[in-house]
Amino acid sequence: MDPAFQAASANAGLAARLEVLERKMAALSAPPKPAVEAAAAPAAPPVPAPPQAPIPANAVVASGGSPMGNVAITGDYQRSPSGETKLPVSGYMDFHFNKNRSLPGEFDFHRFVLLFGHSFSDRIKFWSELELEHSIVEGGEEKGEVALEQAYVDFLIKPAFNLRGGMLLSPVGIVNERHEPPAFNGVERPFVETIIIPTTWREMGFGATGDLGRGFRYRAYMVSSLDASLFNAEFGIAEGKTSGFPSSFRNPAKVGRLEYTGTRRLVLGTSFYTGHAGFNMATVNPRVDIYNADARYSYRRMDVRGLFAKTWVSKAKELNNALEQTTGSNPNVASQMLGAYVEPAFHLFPRRRSQDVIVFGRYEKYNTQHKMPDGYTALPQFNRSSWVLGATYKPVADVAIKFDYNFNRNASTVVKPLDSINLGIGWWF
Amino acid sequence: MKNGIWLSLLFVLLGALTSGQDTDKKPVRKISIVAERFFFSPSKIRLKEGETVEFVLTSDDTDHGFHVPSAGIDVAIPPSGKGEATIRFTATKKGTFPFECSRACGAGHNLMRGQIIVK
Repeated sequence: MDPAFQAASANAGLAARLEVLERKMAALSAPPKPAVEAAAAPAAPPVPAPPQAPIPANAVVASGGSPMGNVAITGDYQRSPSGETKLPVSGYMDFHFNKNRSLPGEFDFHRFVLLFGHSFSDRIKFWSELELEHSIVEGGEEKGEVALEQAYVDFLIKPAFNLRGGMLLSPVGIVNERHEPPAFNGVERPFVETIIIPTTWREMGFGATGDLGRGFRYRAYMVSSLDASLFNAEFGIAEGKTSGFPSSFRNPAKVGRLEYTGTRRLVLGTSFYTGHAGFNMATVNPRVDIYNADARYSYRRMDVRGLFAKTWVSKAKELNNALEQTTGSNPNVASQMLGAYVEPAFHLFPRRRSQDVIVFGRYEKYNTQHKMPDGYTALPQFNRSSWVLGATYKPVADVAIKFDYNFNRNASTVVKPLDSINLGIGWWF
Repeated sequence: MKNGIWLSLLFVLLGALTSGQDTDKKPVRKISIVAERFFFSPSKIRLKEGETVEFVLTSDDTDHGFHVPSAGIDVAIPPSGKGEATIRFTATKKGTFPFECSRACGAGHNLMRGQIIVK
């Protein structure tokens, strides 16, 4: 009772009435008894009531209906306060300094990304990623972008088969689904995974995900198609990703990935994409097929990763003719594009240290004019290769200070690419 | 002095007896589980009903979580180089019990799942 009321003790009648009122309110605020107790219980296995407060280290939890009895937990942990898991906001950021030889350097707050998630229940989960690129967005100007990188709901059915729908990352290559700055070497993402595989590649769609056992897992989606009217010689199909708008489902594309993670420190992956891309074209509907294989392996202080990707564009000749008629310039789209890279890296400190220094070298070959349709000549400046040599310093696991030097080459004798130097800080929280 | 010697001998004898009792106990099976973006290794763990095991959880990169919804367990796995978390428990019930990462760890966070299979 409020002390102010206790002070008025002279009025005993009022105090008695208040006491009666308090008793009534306490009775009203008590949880109601269920109308039907046993019959209302779900058929699913019982889930024990979660604790209301963190349990100290070395605590023992009574088993009850839980499949795990006599539980003892040590280490840094906390238990979720309810059956509903609410994840805090997370994110990653990329701050770069890029300088091409003989040009002035530039600072770029390349990515500011926030991730939000929510578990509606143990079987229905939402996940999203919202990105601001290049720090500013102004209407109608060629500056940054605010983009929904992914936003989907998972419906968990069985370990081997779950459903997913929304804005999805295309499961192709290494970096598209694993693009947090501390997760890869180099200030910028690999050229092959920017131009041949257009990260961050996301489309609207739905599909299935699952764990097949023995280390195999998959993702298989039907997604909105690429826009062939934006294909060109320099970037191949990369500028044709719609990123969810306009998102045509007239000819939905199929994309899938099979991954093996069953051996410690080894990840093998293979992906495919196939779909027609002519929803924005009146006379031609070319099909795009992509095949990719990649691998990551770590042994003691060594890491190595490699990736191969090849793209086929059908009716490239008809596509070039149609685009030339509408825009007045020949986009010189190739019928095949190719890219591959290999990246060995060495950790200067033993693993499991809180600090890490990684030195790496990456060789990349990427050609958006690999094979041309009849009547079209490949532009040699787009048959490119790069040596990227650099180092990553991680004062903690989630902060990466990066440096690299890019030796860029192409097959042209006229147009020469510039070497570049890059510095960056990337972090995840 | 003599009493001290006898007392010491008694302690040594008691120590030997209690250590002998410890060695008779069945050792707890330790299972190392490594979390990294975006999978657990191993992701499928097979146990026998009644078996007591200890999961030793470490991360190869950032913070992860080990959440077993059916058991109400949610353990934070510290980032690489910052230690480990352990869960010791007895598998009291047959069935398949999914587990998942419960700390936001990146773009593929929702892919981080596994199963404990008790037979």
